[in-house]
Amino acid sequence: MGQKRVALVAAGITKFGKRKATFRDLIAEAGKATFDSNKNISPKDVKAFIISTVYPERSAFQGHPAPLAAEWCGVRPTEFHERVENQCGSGTSAIRTAYAAIMSGLTDLVMVVGVEKVMVPSHKEIFLNAMAGSDREWESCFGVTPPPLFAMVAQAHMQKFGTTEEQLALVSVKNHNHSKTNPYAHHQKGATLEQVMTSRLIAAPLKLFDCSTNTDGAAGVIVALEERAKSLTDKPVYILGTAQINDGYPWVAYPKDWSTWPSLRFAAQKAYEMAGIGPKDVDVAEVHDCFTISEIIEYEELGFCKKGEGGRFVEDGQSDYGGEVVVNPSGGLIACGHPFGATGVRQAWEAYIQLRDEAGTRQVKGAEIFLGHNLSGLGEHHILIYGRS
Amino acid sequence: MKEKTTEDYIIDPDVYICDPVPQQTPDQNMVYPFYDHLRDNRLTTTRCKDCGHITWPPKIVCTECMSDQLEWEDFPPTGKIYAFTVQVGGVPPGFQAPLVYALIDFDNDLRIISPLIDTDPDDVHVGDEVVLKVVEAPRDRVLFFFKLKK
Ligand SMILES: CC(C)(COP(=O)(O)OP(=O)(O)OC[C@H]1O[C@@H](n2cnc3c(N)ncnc32)[C@H](O)[C@@H]1OP(=O)(O)O)[C@@H](O)C(=O)NCCC(=O)NCCS
Ligand SMILES: [Zn+2]
Repeated sequence: MGQKRVALVAAGITKFGKRKATFRDLIAEAGKATFDSNKNISPKDVKAFIISTVYPERSAFQGHPAPLAAEWCGVRPTEFHERVENQCGSGTSAIRTAYAAIMSGLTDLVMVVGVEKVMVPSHKEIFLNAMAGSDREWESCFGVTPPPLFAMVAQAHMQKFGTTEEQLALVSVKNHNHSKTNPYAHHQKGATLEQVMTSRLIAAPLKLFDCSTNTDGAAGVIVALEERAKSLTDKPVYILGTAQINDGYPWVAYPKDWSTWPSLRFAAQKAYEMAGIGPKDVDVAEVHDCFTISEIIEYEELGFCKKGEGGRFVEDGQSDYGGEVVVNPSGGLIACGHPFGATGVRQAWEAYIQLRDEAGTRQVKGAEIFLGHNLSGLGEHHILIYGRS
Repeated sequence: MKEKTTEDYIIDPDVYICDPVPQQTPDQNMVYPFYDHLRDNRLTTTRCKDCGHITWPPKIVCTECMSDQLEWEDFPPTGKIYAFTVQVGGVPPGFQAPLVYALIDFDNDLRIISPLIDTDPDDVHVGDEVVLKVVEAPRDRVLFFFKLKK
């Protein structure tokens, strides 16, 4: 018998946006979409369930979300159920947890739903909730949220490597234009360089269009042991490699040079080794563009280009169709929006449709290898690599 | 309409869930001496008496050797700005734009993030020196802000 392998066998998603829906409405909708994607699986077949969600306690005043979510998806788990929370990287963490549960033999099939209810009636409360993931006693007490933190990352990268505001903007232009073909994205209108460059300032040098959008949304996948997977679909999407790392907490405990993320480089190397591939083998990637600068640094640390050349990489079209690797064909966090607990699962949904040639007009032709990446801090990264075989 | 503040979000004075300012008294917090020092205009943190390890923020157990024998030590009086930004959008309730956030490096090899106050955003540069500015917070609490060194 060969080594155990795990694969995606179903994937579904809700419309991302300012939804007229509750936390549990979003879960039910993602559950239905997931089961609709594979008629060989019904909720009664699912004995293990994981919910990925960051702050339902704040946005819906709802704790204990795993049994609630399972019930709203028609699942009564008898083998494994759990909530996974790792801030913005929760979705990828949840799929890794499902992978671990299957590899350990506790179960052979897990449903993972990622969800976040972000848009609450009081708009400013969204920014208050955004403070909850940082260190409340030593950082959030000053109102610190991701935009100023990543603005300082951008300052550091621009200072050290000469990256320009236009190069940052080009990431947004690319991702907005990609999302024109994604009916589930929050934004689907595309964007021009001028639109991005003249959008309102948030935290210098980041402007509105440099930032991922606050949004509601949910996504679901089902993962299964290879033998089971093959009985459920003729095109399983295999998990080939994965890695996770956290190098410090809170923000000021990360390594001092914020333009360089050695922990991402380390984790990527590990995931590539596990998958038996290198960065050049990646055909399509969904990476964590919480801000435009993040995607530029991720090109570098994931090994798609040399350190410091991320700005030029996007400028040269190397992260777009026809380039070295298509990055964020869905539109990424910037255009899809970023419902924290759902994002990593949305990336897995993109892997599922890309590696089964079901991505329609945004299909990356002949894609064999897909890389998904989430971050929850400058030193905190979560990676999953998927393949067709 | 008056801007809402974090205080307005506190439905009941006994509910502190939306109040981001830490609890600073001995009945709530084991690093309360930090805040006592802060009230005396001293910025301090903990150093391990057993292995010499120093961290920011302060701890009650040394993360290097697990000793609980820690002592308080003052920060150098000035820090240097590694990076900064001026935030004008996405500002949480209870905070007023523009907010000048800076990453501040000290000679003890520690870094702090804090807003600069009493500071014109146009006057700030990478490498500038800053000094502590203690600010009062609601209900007898204090926070450590910084300002440009004149
Ligand atoms: C940047 C930010 C502060 C802007 O928030 P805001 O001032 O409340 O602005 P809004 O979200 O209301 O956006 C204003 C409008 O611009 C649109 N918009 C926002 N971001 C956009 C983008 N990147 N591209 C295109 N349009 C955008 C919105 O849809 C909205 O349009 P509408 O009024 O028609 O609905 C907020 O989006 C933010 O905090 N983003 C980062 C989230 C984050 O930190 N995530 C975690 C990352 S680790
Ligand atoms: Zn020690």
